[in-house]
Amino acid sequence: MDKNFQEEFTQIIKFQPPLYKQRYQFVKDLVEKYKPKKVADLGCADCSLLWTLKFCSCIEVLAGLDICANVMKEKMHTLSPLPVDYLQPSERSLTVTLHHGSVAHKDPCMLGFDLVTCIELIEHLEESELKKFPEVVFGFMAPSIVVISTPNSEFNPLLSRVMLYRHPDHKFEWSQAQFQSWALETARCYNYSVEFTGVGHPPTGMEKVGFCTQIGVFVRKYPQTGESVPSEKPTEAVYKTVFKAVYPSLKDEKYLQNAVISEVIFTAQIIKYRLMSKHKEYSDDPERKSQFQPSMDCFSDHLGKLVVEKNMEPFVSGNEVYIPLTTIFSFPKVNRLCGTFEKLCKLIAGKVTLSSDGSAWLFNIENENEEN
Amino acid sequence: LQVSSGLQDLSLRDRGGRRRDFHDLGVNTRQAMVHVQESKTGFSGKVIKLTTNHFRLTSRPQWALYQYHVGYSPEMEARRLRSALLFQHEETIGKTHAFDGAVLFLPKKLDNKVTELFSRTRNGEDVKITVTLTNELPPTSPTCLQFYNIIFRRLLKMLNLQQIGRNYYNPSDPVSIPNHRLMVWLGFTSSILQYEENIMLCADVSHKVLRGETVLDTMHSLHSQVGEERFRDTCAKELIGLIVLTKYNNRTYRIDDIDWDNNPQGTFRKSDGSEMSFVEYYKKQYNIEISDWMQPVLISQMKRRRGNIQGSVALIPELCSLTGLTDKMRSDFNMMKDLAIHTRLPPEQRQRELGRLLNYIQKDDNVQKELRNWGLSFDYKSVSFTGRVVQGEKILQSGSMFDYNPQFADWTKETRGVPLIRAVPMDSWLLIFTRRNHDVANTLLQSLSKVTPSMGIRMNKPNMIEVDDRTEAYLRVLQQRITPDTNIVVCILSSFRKDKYDAIKKYLCTDCPIPSQCVLARTLSKPQTIMTVATKIALQMNCKMGGELWSVEIPLKQVMIVGIDCYHDTVAGKQSIAGFVASLNQGMTRWFSRCVVQSRGQELVDGIKACLQTALRNWSKWNRCLPSRIFVYRDGVGDGQLNTLVNYEVPQFLDCLKSIGTDYSPKLTVIVVKKRVGARFFAEVGGGLRNPPPGTVVDTVVTRPEWYDFFVVSQTVKNGCVAPTHYNVVYDTSQLKPDHIQRLTYKLCHMYYNWSGVIRVPAPCQYAHKLAFLVGQSIHREPNMMLSDRLYYL
Repeated sequence: MDKNFQEEFTQIIKFQPPLYKQRYQFVKDLVEKYKPKKVADLGCADCSLLWTLKFCSCIEVLAGLDICANVMKEKMHTLSPLPVDYLQPSERSLTVTLHHGSVAHKDPCMLGFDLVTCIELIEHLEESELKKFPEVVFGFMAPSIVVISTPNSEFNPLLSRVMLYRHPDHKFEWSQAQFQSWALETARCYNYSVEFTGVGHPPTGMEKVGFCTQIGVFVRKYPQTGESVPSEKPTEAVYKTVFKAVYPSLKDEKYLQNAVISEVIFTAQIIKYRLMSKHKEYSDDPERKSQFQPSMDCFSDHLGKLVVEKNMEPFVSGNEVYIPLTTIFSFPKVNRLCGTFEKLCKLIAGKVTLSSDGSAWLFNIENENEEN
Repeated sequence: LQVSSGLQDLSLRDRGGRRRDFHDLGVNTRQAMVHVQESKTGFSGKVIKLTTNHFRLTSRPQWALYQYHVGYSPEMEARRLRSALLFQHEETIGKTHAFDGAVLFLPKKLDNKVTELFSRTRNGEDVKITVTLTNELPPTSPTCLQFYNIIFRRLLKMLNLQQIGRNYYNPSDPVSIPNHRLMVWLGFTSSILQYEENIMLCADVSHKVLRGETVLDTMHSLHSQVGEERFRDTCAKELIGLIVLTKYNNRTYRIDDIDWDNNPQGTFRKSDGSEMSFVEYYKKQYNIEISDWMQPVLISQMKRRRGNIQGSVALIPELCSLTGLTDKMRSDFNMMKDLAIHTRLPPEQRQRELGRLLNYIQKDDNVQKELRNWGLSFDYKSVSFTGRVVQGEKILQSGSMFDYNPQFADWTKETRGVPLIRAVPMDSWLLIFTRRNHDVANTLLQSLSKVTPSMGIRMNKPNMIEVDDRTEAYLRVLQQRITPDTNIVVCILSSFRKDKYDAIKKYLCTDCPIPSQCVLARTLSKPQTIMTVATKIALQMNCKMGGELWSVEIPLKQVMIVGIDCYHDTVAGKQSIAGFVASLNQGMTRWFSRCVVQSRGQELVDGIKACLQTALRNWSKWNRCLPSRIFVYRDGVGDGQLNTLVNYEVPQFLDCLKSIGTDYSPKLTVIVVKKRVGARFFAEVGGGLRNPPPGTVVDTVVTRPEWYDFFVVSQTVKNGCVAPTHYNVVYDTSQLKPDHIQRLTYKLCHMYYNWSGVIRVPAPCQYAHKLAFLVGQSIHREPNMMLSDRLYYL
């Protein structure tokens, strides 16, 4: 069921941008402000809010929960990583999970979130579910911030064709006073503060009806008790996971290693070609050859000594090209990826040929003179 | 046949365009050919046991797909609303369904022919939905086949494979080739079709080459390579025509242009009419910060045929990743070598990779459930059948007859030092080279004089001319030194510069029609290979001057063979070129060659008609009569274009023949040649899988019942899997047995003079390809007709 879509059609007052987009923007602004790492969207429906949020770079864990698995499944693939995410893994890690279940039930997978959004959710809840809802969200999940949006029934007369509620599945639609008293009571009970706002401004002169969508932002007043699941909250998993996507990230050793090796080999190739063309120029030109030759001898004679001195210059010796790892480490991109020299050594170990003492990268150029 | 627009969206979509019928379903050409109604199979050759990459689709008995029309009262406009309202009744309709807003497909039959359902919209409006059964589709109906393909693609998506273009790829286990900043993804192509006896899935391993850098990275490195002055030109050359992926959505775009006057700070008009800058848009929509504000903007044209809107999309280089290979990369020997290790899989490995896909399908619960719901399943073991290996041909050369080793399908050794059928003397010729290549020129000359006598080529000392290494210098020499007696011009080029090569070829193919041979100095620089190279060059030059090398026995008399292939200038996107080659003599050793240059939007067929007319005139000049049989091998027909070919091109051929004279009615056979096919065959040898030997013919099981078609494996490959060539006889009044057509086709694969071995397609197709390529790449207009009786483009 697509609540956003229908609303657009039923409005006599056209909101620009459409109201659902304004709600998403509101959440995005909130994310920008508080920079939460873990965000859950309850009643995520076709995952469009989650899709919007996956582009927020502060978020590392995104979860969606809905009572209807089919609606989630329809578009869940939009939450999968894109080809480019694999080609250029991002610095941050991101895991997106979709759960099938009810907000009236507790499941430990919903613990530890920083922000929980309930956009146009509560009005779909049966009375019994609504009763359990505060305990599940504020008591059990207990995130630092909760956002709840719901229609403002005082605005309904301004909307065309709204008979009773804005959607046949709505179990109720609250006035501002009703919502606020429920919210204040909930906040008091679970030690949260709450502030009210909304999106969808009323027409001029009718300000007292309030926003079309009323929003309550709840902020937890007490500090988080601990990172992990507190022991006094033992619960069994009742949600069913319908989707899980782990985005490639440089935090994952596998992707980091690939990125480093690819960067290292590519840059080393450039150095090698530069070196080779210089080398070739020298050996092609008899006059220059005399200048180059002594230094070549010098390299081969004092190889050991040079290595000890950690010479930064790559060089050619016979059929071999040496590029000291310190040089490689000085490439800006490699440096940024690895952080430390030790990390570089560890990541490329076994993946490339090193000189006997392990200080330089060794290329054999013998078999690369192939014509093309 | 058309499912309906919405369902097509579910399936494969051309970039922003209409879905094409890639499988040429519904083109039934066999029914018009009475002589192959009963059987289209040949008989000659040795039987060979083969397996393939086809898998039988099994469905439950009496399987049918039920098609319903869904109507709304009052009428509901929005498609999503229509689905939402319909699926409020999942208990009636069932969990398994495919719905596009109007047409509903179900695996089950509803109790009544007309089912009425009642839903209520969110604003309390009551809606009556009428679901009417319109069709019961048997498993073999085209709609059903299209439907299978849609379902199968759904499965691949469920397996978390990524769609790039038409195929699906597995991103989680890439092969990276850091030396070239390339990444290879393993993926699969799949199509489900009605084959001879069964509906089968044809699945193959596919590799996608992706690049680990953005378009902006590439631009930077081009800038450092060529400098400011040639930067824009080089970018255009390198980038236009490439397919890119974006950082923010799952679409692919083709780069059609680069807008250097624009940059990310430029604005565009959004669909709601407001103006916004790219920087602002990407920040707002995707939270992406564009770091380089001075980069140009890429333009991609959207081919949206619905409503004929020709829109374009602007893309930011920094946010685009390149896919595929450029021509420059393709010509990089080392890169291709490194790639081939990963992409050229030998038979066993290829089947193993394919097995992995089937394994995923078999193991995945969700996929299995989806299949079960539709009542579908696959035979996980590939189909086995028998093919035939026809006998190798005898190579005839100046009174001698040679057998070649069928395993290698090559007779370079056997014919070495044997006189050619017709050796054209080189009495007067030019050898042009730069100062640096003086020695190389002499080496070439010495080697040529060593190898030519045994071939029977008489060679005088050439006119040796030294030039500066500039295009104008070459052209000036050509203008001054070519005389009416000149047989051929040989240019030794110091490096491969396309502009120089193009200029020489253009001049010598149009203004001053003289055969020419360009050789890279590097090719001649290795003493150990110089004799082999000189032999090849001598043969090639001889052909360009109208010489004949070898022949095979052609039992049919008074026959003209035609080969047609097309070249599409993808970079400029401007013109298409059709190469047209027709035999002139009984031995198929001489050919008449012309080409048609066509600007965008024009049909090639008019030009081809004119070609056929001149070809017939020339044939009658050579043979003093008109051919009684004409065979047209038509290459370059894209997926989904068969219908056009059958309905427009073939009638034009017939028209053309009619116009020659009322009493002239030759027998015509038109065969569509296709190199890019999904089918692969493997010979079962001692428990292992090998490539089938050259000469393998397949005309059962994996062919299509509605066509008179067959496969021939004519060539050999050193590594990887051999690709069979598909031949589809779309028109045939020859009354020849299928076996004879198959044999003739295989014989013609022996007649390409630039390769002393068997090739993948009949020689006239390869000649036509070579000609169209030369014209499309270098000459850009029709070459001089004076050259048309020689293979000057080899």
